[in-house]
Amino acid sequence: MNAAGTAVLRLDDVHRVHGQAATEVQALRGVSLAVYPGELVAVMGPSGSGKSTLLTIAGGLDSPTSGTVCVEGRDLGGLDRAGRARLRRTSVGYVFQDFNLVPALTAAENAALPLELDGVRARAARGAALAALGELGIEELADRFPDQMSGGQQQRVAIARAVVGERRLVLADEPTGALDSETGEEVLRMLRARCDAGTAAVMVTHEARHAAWADRVVFLRDGVVVDESSPLPPTALLEPSLR
Amino acid sequence: MTGRLAARWALPLRVARREAWRSKGRSLLVLVLIALPVLAVTASAVVVATTQVSGAEGIDRRLGTAQARVDVSPDIGRVVQGADPDQGALITEGPAPQRPLDAADLSRRLGGAPTTELRQSQARFVSDDGAAPVETTELDLGDPLTRGLFDLTSGRWPSGPGEVVANQALLDRLGLAVGDRLEPAAEGGPSPRVVGVAESTTVRSSPVAAGPLGSLGIDTSGLRSWLVGGDPVTWSEVRGLNRAGAVVVSRSVVLDPPPADQLPDELGVTGTTDPVIVAVVALVVAMVLLEVVLLAGPAFAVGAKRQARSLALMSSSGATPAQVRRSLLATAVVLGSVAAVGGVLLGLALAAAAMPLVQRLSASWLGPFDVPWLPVLAVLAFGLLSALLAALAPAVMVARQDVVAVLAGRRGEARPSRVSPVVGTLLLALGVAGSAYGALTRGSELFIAFAAVLCVLGTVLLVPLVLALLGRLARRLPLVVRYAVRDAARQRSRTAPAVAAVAATVAGVVTLGIGASSDALESRSTYQPSLAMGSGVVTPGWSETGEPLPGSWEAAETVVERALPEARTTAVVGLGQDDGNSYTEVSRPGSSVPVLSSYGSALGGSELVGDEALAAAPGLSAATLERVRTALADGRAVVFADQTGDSDTVRVRVERVEDDGTTSRVAQRTLPATYVAVGAATAPAQLLLPPELARELGPTRTVGLVVDGAPIGDAQEEAVSEGVAALGMQGSFYVERGYQADDEDVIVLLVLFALGAVLVLGGTLTATFLALSDARPDLATLAAVGASPRARRGIAASYAFVVGFVGAALGAVVGLVPGLAVAVPLTSQGADGGWTVEGGDVVSGAPPVTGPFLDVPWLLVLGLVVVLPLLTAAVVGLLTRSRLPLVARAA
Ligand SMILES: Nc1ncnc2c1ncn2[C@@H]1O[C@H](COP(=O)(O)OP(=O)(O)O)[C@@H](O)[C@H]1O
Ligand SMILES: [Mg+2]
Repeated sequence: MNAAGTAVLRLDDVHRVHGQAATEVQALRGVSLAVYPGELVAVMGPSGSGKSTLLTIAGGLDSPTSGTVCVEGRDLGGLDRAGRARLRRTSVGYVFQDFNLVPALTAAENAALPLELDGVRARAARGAALAALGELGIEELADRFPDQMSGGQQQRVAIARAVVGERRLVLADEPTGALDSETGEEVLRMLRARCDAGTAAVMVTHEARHAAWADRVVFLRDGVVVDESSPLPPTALLEPSLR
Repeated sequence: MTGRLAARWALPLRVARREAWRSKGRSLLVLVLIALPVLAVTASAVVVATTQVSGAEGIDRRLGTAQARVDVSPDIGRVVQGADPDQGALITEGPAPQRPLDAADLSRRLGGAPTTELRQSQARFVSDDGAAPVETTELDLGDPLTRGLFDLTSGRWPSGPGEVVANQALLDRLGLAVGDRLEPAAEGGPSPRVVGVAESTTVRSSPVAAGPLGSLGIDTSGLRSWLVGGDPVTWSEVRGLNRAGAVVVSRSVVLDPPPADQLPDELGVTGTTDPVIVAVVALVVAMVLLEVVLLAGPAFAVGAKRQARSLALMSSSGATPAQVRRSLLATAVVLGSVAAVGGVLLGLALAAAAMPLVQRLSASWLGPFDVPWLPVLAVLAFGLLSALLAALAPAVMVARQDVVAVLAGRRGEARPSRVSPVVGTLLLALGVAGSAYGALTRGSELFIAFAAVLCVLGTVLLVPLVLALLGRLARRLPLVVRYAVRDAARQRSRTAPAVAAVAATVAGVVTLGIGASSDALESRSTYQPSLAMGSGVVTPGWSETGEPLPGSWEAAETVVERALPEARTTAVVGLGQDDGNSYTEVSRPGSSVPVLSSYGSALGGSELVGDEALAAAPGLSAATLERVRTALADGRAVVFADQTGDSDTVRVRVERVEDDGTTSRVAQRTLPATYVAVGAATAPAQLLLPPELARELGPTRTVGLVVDGAPIGDAQEEAVSEGVAALGMQGSFYVERGYQADDEDVIVLLVLFALGAVLVLGGTLTATFLALSDARPDLATLAAVGASPRARRGIAASYAFVVGFVGAALGAVVGLVPGLAVAVPLTSQGADGGWTVEGGDVVSGAPPVTGPFLDVPWLLVLGLVVVLPLLTAAVVGLLTRSRLPLVARAA
């Protein structure tokens, strides 16, 4: 976790063009970014600046028009659809703004979803899911269905799902956008705790207050990174004595 | 392996179960659509199986407690029988191979087994309104071997030859009670007293009587039957008895048939199913499956869209497309198996509940409640399969959906397949070509049916394309209609199956409708009147042995005069030897080819004397009549012929068929004759004779009574019919009224329309209400920008009309092709199979070629294509709540 070379996520000169010719939209224009273990990176920028596109590309839900994306050292460009799906089951977890959970599954089942999809026996998957819920302090929600939970509770279960099975990269697209500020803080505290335990996370947010939880803030405008606060390497952050 | 399968399906099935429960309305719709056919087929299969009493089930009814029943007749030459002779036996008539067996021989051959004789026949006994046929059995009802053939329900068993038992049906029919005597309709029979009510264990609703030997006067003309007790009769004993000229029903052989290689080869392979029936069943199953799949399809399509976000979330958690597909197919597994099992259970319950009613309608006693497991399992599989097929297309589509778009809240309907229109066009072309080929080939109705299925399948695949084209044409339509058309075009996954279901139904109905109405047109066009329009004729009935009953003509004339005082009656005189055992050959001298290929005898006979009755004969022109009259006046015979030839004499031979099958000649004359060509029309008789020539050929007598000169109404017709039927001659009265449209023709079209209407209505309504629930967010947007509440109704009604009209129009166009094709072989007659020309005779030629007759039932088509969709739209407009939803959406 201290070597600068082992970025969990590395984007290199990533471009993403939607549509063709007249309706062409340049969602990302040469974005480079590295996220290290234990790091929480906030992405900010006006609407339409390409934040969501950045996250979908980082998790292999979408592919860049050019440039490379590596997760835990593996180039996503070299993986087929099935390989990228396996990557999401084992390495990358997503949290979206709202409606994150499958309504037909309980909290524990939702959290266990990536494991069960990966062929882990239901009982073992449930065990791991309960552990993840427990670490986040919400094991009492385990057998509730999504429509029996508040928005904040749902987001916490979504975070549990994103980290279950020792996954090292969480991609969160405005995870607090639909929550009141107090609940939002609660969810962010949880995410911060996971990162302190070694997980890397990229979080899109509109609120500067929430960005304060991050180690680093990346500003996007029209698909280009225009500013990066706190350019210190994460090792320096973890070891203040070096400063 | 099974462990991995279970692991793969565990999660999808869990999700599916809960999703099905969450969307109860849609699940119920699918359940009903699939369970209904399963229920119907199960119930009818059980009823049929229960009604059919199999050999094993019925053995007690046939044998009582006996081991076997043996039939011996002096007329039986050789017997080759299967395990159960009633299901396969070759019995050659002829002199018996040896002296026929008697009871003592039989007992000796079967190791001293006890025997009891049995005689069965039918006899007529006097009833309140004449005479009724009764199934009679003579046997020793006290013999333990006969126990189980009859059940005494009241009174007592007969104790002597003057006593019998009868079933309730006999007492009701003959108006008798226990203690009364049976009175035979024929003279000289015994007249036994009924001392008890006993039900036959086989026959239920027709009259049955049983008593000791001799009690009912049964004459079996040499046939003798015994029930045999003792040890089970083995197959080799059966074969031995066969060689002695006996037919044997053995309990042990029927219950445990010998292996096929021990059965005689001569009987051929029994029990194979007719391939035509198999093909027809396959066709029907395929069409029902298609309908169910298409009707249930939209529900699954909407379900897939509702679950789109859940499935996208699963993708974002690493689900592969196969896992996404499986999630939706699991819904089909859950709903399909619940529907199939539920349908089977309900079907069994319905059959059980309906059994008393079936028994009341059935003429014989039903067997034990019998579930034919093979068909029931097949229909179970059918239910599951139909659900899977209905979910297949939505599952494939949802696995291809754009995950990012769905997660971002955009609705991404997958691109339409480019392959299916191509395959659809191909299938349609094949179907059309097949129909055309079938129309040009004889006996190809089944072939055309298969071509029709191809046409329908092709159409189903083309529907999305048609909807897309329609969407482009919608620009000029008013808003609500434009919205409905665009919605139908854009939401193809739910619209297309509904439109296709309607199209498939209408295509089938139009095909069958064209076939039926073309058939009716043929009957109308080829109708041959038997008499001149408006005339009537009284003809005598036939005795049981096939001889015309002696006419009581004066009495008949009185009956006619009473009902029709204005009418003129004319006796028709014919050659008198026409007693059913003789026939008259009319040919040109030196030839044995009959001069007529077909002729009628509506006037009571086909060799008539004099010209009095001719006025009532149909289709003869005044000139012809004049020629006939002149010829008869000149003392010449008049011969109706297919074609006139150059001869002016005719050879008439009267042949008589003796009881032993040989023929002997009664008379042969060559007479001066005038030939009258009748062309395609049916001749009123084959020969007209002046009285002096008739005398040369034998006696003459009155054969019919022509009634004309006054209009004959329905009431008068009925009066005369009843009057002459009551006479000793048991006559009948026919009045020519031209072609009478068969009630059946109209009923067939009505039933077709009703069936089509139900399916069209069902398909359209389910699709429309699914569309409404699917379109909530759009309707909310419309409401937000100020659409009036009526807009919702307008949109719903327009959508219903689009689905119904597009489907019905497509179906009607497609149904025309196989419909017209099948009408050709159905209504063409006599294209081949002509007459052999003999002895250089000039008279030859095929029977007249008629057809094909083509008739499209436009009223039916109009009703299906225009009226029904409008009606459905109106129903939808009335049923739709007009309040617009205000909240946009929930995931
Ligand atoms: N599927 C798509 N087709 C066309 N344009 C798209 C698509 N997805 C995103 N875009 C465009 O790409 C740009 C970036 O979008 P997005 O990443 O969603 O922005 P953000 O999340 O920062 O608001 C926007 O201009 C958006 O309109
Ligand atoms: Mg965004």
